[in-house]
Amino acid sequence: MVKELQGVIMPTIEFSLKDLERLLGKKIDLEELKNEGILFVKGEIDEERNGKLKVDIKDTNRPDLWSIEGVTRELKGHYRIEEGLPKFKIQKSGLTVIVDKKVENVRPKTVCAVVKKLKLDDEAIKQMIQLQEKVCQTFGRNRDMAAIGVYDYDKIKGPIKYTTFKPNELKFEPLGLKRKMNLKEILTKHPKGKEYGYLLRDKKEYPIFIDSAKNVLSMPPIINSNYTGKVDENTKNVFIEVSGHEINHISVALNVIVTALKERGGKLYSVDVKYGNKTVTTPDLTPKKARMNMENCRKILGMDISAKEMLKLLRQSRFDAKLKGKEIEVSYVPYRNDIMDERDVMEDIAISFGYNNIEPEEPKIYTKGEGTKKERLSNKIREICIGLGIQEVLNFTLSSKEDLLERMRIKDDIVEIENPVSSSWCVFRNSLIPNCLRFLSYNKHVEYPQKIFEIGDVIKIDEGKETKTRDVRNLAILITGIKIGYEEISSLLNSLMENLKVEYKIEEMRNEKFIEGRCASVFVDKKLIGEIGEIHPEILENFGLEMPVVSLELNLEGL
Amino acid sequence: MYELTEEGKEYLEKGLPEINLLKALEREKDLKKLKGIVENFNIALQWAKKNGWIKIEGSKLILEKKPSSYDLQESLKNLEKAEKKYLDILLKRNLIMEIREDIEKEAKSFIGKEITNIHPSLLKTGLWRKVELKEYNVKAVGKKIYPGKIQPYQKFILQIKEKLIELGFKEMTGPSIETEFWNFDALFQPQNHPARDWTDTYSLKKPKYGELPDKKIVEAVKKSHEKSWNYKWDEEKARKLMPRAHDTAISPRYLSKGIEIPGKYFSLVRCYRPDVVDATHLIEFNQLGGFVIGENMNLKNLLGLLKMFAIEFGGAEEVKFFPDYYPFTEPSVQISVKDKKLGWVELAGAGIFRKELTEPLGIKVPVIAWGIGFDRLAMCNLGVNDIRELFSQNLSWLRNFRVL
Repeated sequence: MVKELQGVIMPTIEFSLKDLERLLGKKIDLEELKNEGILFVKGEIDEERNGKLKVDIKDTNRPDLWSIEGVTRELKGHYRIEEGLPKFKIQKSGLTVIVDKKVENVRPKTVCAVVKKLKLDDEAIKQMIQLQEKVCQTFGRNRDMAAIGVYDYDKIKGPIKYTTFKPNELKFEPLGLKRKMNLKEILTKHPKGKEYGYLLRDKKEYPIFIDSAKNVLSMPPIINSNYTGKVDENTKNVFIEVSGHEINHISVALNVIVTALKERGGKLYSVDVKYGNKTVTTPDLTPKKARMNMENCRKILGMDISAKEMLKLLRQSRFDAKLKGKEIEVSYVPYRNDIMDERDVMEDIAISFGYNNIEPEEPKIYTKGEGTKKERLSNKIREICIGLGIQEVLNFTLSSKEDLLERMRIKDDIVEIENPVSSSWCVFRNSLIPNCLRFLSYNKHVEYPQKIFEIGDVIKIDEGKETKTRDVRNLAILITGIKIGYEEISSLLNSLMENLKVEYKIEEMRNEKFIEGRCASVFVDKKLIGEIGEIHPEILENFGLEMPVVSLELNLEGL
Repeated sequence: MYELTEEGKEYLEKGLPEINLLKALEREKDLKKLKGIVENFNIALQWAKKNGWIKIEGSKLILEKKPSSYDLQESLKNLEKAEKKYLDILLKRNLIMEIREDIEKEAKSFIGKEITNIHPSLLKTGLWRKVELKEYNVKAVGKKIYPGKIQPYQKFILQIKEKLIELGFKEMTGPSIETEFWNFDALFQPQNHPARDWTDTYSLKKPKYGELPDKKIVEAVKKSHEKSWNYKWDEEKARKLMPRAHDTAISPRYLSKGIEIPGKYFSLVRCYRPDVVDATHLIEFNQLGGFVIGENMNLKNLLGLLKMFAIEFGGAEEVKFFPDYYPFTEPSVQISVKDKKLGWVELAGAGIFRKELTEPLGIKVPVIAWGIGFDRLAMCNLGVNDIRELFSQNLSWLRNFRVL
């Protein structure tokens, strides 16, 4: 399956073994960690050098695992240092955030928290920034769905207001700059403004967090202010906000951050976020519940596993688990957003048990295998072509507009890519010939005569189809050499058809691709299935070829 | 030079039987009676028919076309001036033969000479015993001949397909240009998922939009997304066309159209992804994947299937399973095989399709799905280090590639 697609966004976390041991309170056996422990958090060690580890976390739906703090929390379960639901104590901070109605059409939601008594060293700050970035990028969909701001709590005077300002109405010093800029300037001139400015495109006013001393905290989701938004090793207490469009989504992000800071010794405090008359108190770490049917679990895992064993494995995966008749009820911390169905609980049982402790068993289903008609026909043709002494080649189905149209002297409606990486690969071939001519152009110094064939799909526009296109399986044969002429290709066509026992007719035609009087259409059952001929010298010139070329292209579905 | 055989002499005197038949036909049409009149009637009938002169209707013989002259008869009269094609027919009909003296004369001309090629006259007369056959330089390398050959990567593709068919898998195919619906939505990949970004997959400039399937399926998929991923599902986005980004796009198409249960399916197709082409990246590549569907399919079976693939395709001796994540499978797993030099190398990703995916498509039983990093496997098999060589543009390399 498409690992590469996931790979683009797969979070990679870096940490030192020492830091992990400090958080875990246990010496680590590196071999065990590599072979078993890290699998428990869907991780794979990518690199290990001088006590520094680089780990790919494969689950792009578990932001709670994207930090060393979160990984440690799960590993404590695996090593049986701490099991069951992690407990978090939240006190009241007394801080209020007032959400102005004006943000509704801009960036409507926020959830906040205060964490005190932090002892942040370099490593801890690095880890916090790393986690913040991963969450914003992957879980926050590049800051659109969730953007996180962390501030020095001691510089803030509550209550905080979440509101909007017009582009020229307000100035502040953005993080990393020593000069005040207005909001418009920040979006057009600051590097982060340039990178994320599109998220506020078309907005008449921009969102702002500002405290009662009129100090700007930030313009989400773009940039913090230099004054309150700078966090270093001297920072003891922090205020955290997450902004976005949907309370549930941003709450997960907030929960991930605050619970990670708790692992660093921080004390959690709640904030009252006021939406008009409604108050939302965050962070809310009240456990969520889910149920799983034990029989279904045994069936899906294919394992005869006792209720007692399931409960034990779930507690190791940091769930609280209780028997409820034929079901198990689990409780989990709401930094997990991935439990949609009982299957998600089953997977955690299997991971906790250890995939490599399960005895693999091949499926006992006996079915008759079968290839497709298209491939069977292609194989038949391939066999004849090889018998005729022709070398098979394999080209890309992508090509350039120049090769497909201009160099071939034709105009055609072709399938075109909107966001090509290179103009050499921006359209789908409508014929096999151009890429074969390109092939010959790379081989001008190779011994002649050269005989090549390709069997492959060309893509045609077809309004009648659901995908507005149609894959057509074609055969092309090209022969080039000093004394090569039309007869060579017509005798090959004849031999091919005789071996297939297909009756065909040849009709004269005119075509921009070929020399006049040296080309023909091929018909089977009165249906046009292809053409043969000698390629026009101007086309040869266009491809830089210096020997005559004769070609044949047939639609195999017509045979 | 040729001379007439006894039969030839007879025909020269009496005329060829087919000519005699034509003459008789002027008076008599009845088959049976003609048989009594014309000598060598069967031969006459066969040749007259072959020449298109006559046809049989019931018990009658009908004249179709009367020849103005008959070259074969003329050739018989004058062998020296006869064309080769008529001589060949006469030889075949055993009416003439080569003159023995001529053959001997020709054969004798070689006697005492050192010859390279053995002339047929020498074999006919046995005089080969009296000539000297020149020795060849048998160590000389012959002229280079290039046979027609299958493209090596294509051969590997066909071998793998054949193997899967032997293992009971049916091949699936789908269009190269897909709607986002089948490529992503039907696979439970949320529309705002970063993997669906502009930079990670291609989109089309022309044509831009396709059609969605049956309304029932679309509604079910929409509901599944909105319930589980918490966002507003956009039908227009689902209609957008794109080059197929992964082979898994084909699976929901098959699942939705009512397939045999239990069943095993695979696809090996071209997929497309924006990238800068280099030794390890292609923008166009093959992916191999598929699924096994059945009432009792489970994780244990999935691991068993993957292990079998690792042994069959990867020649693996040792395998290891890693918990993995795909939006469309749960549980998910990756299998790696031990490589002496590289350590654990990822071979395949797999999982059990989520219910959120299968139920909207009308499937009620477990589906275990898998995908193999095919191009890497092919590179190992062909012994190439640069992925671009799979689609080699080098004719010499193709011509000289060892046959696998």
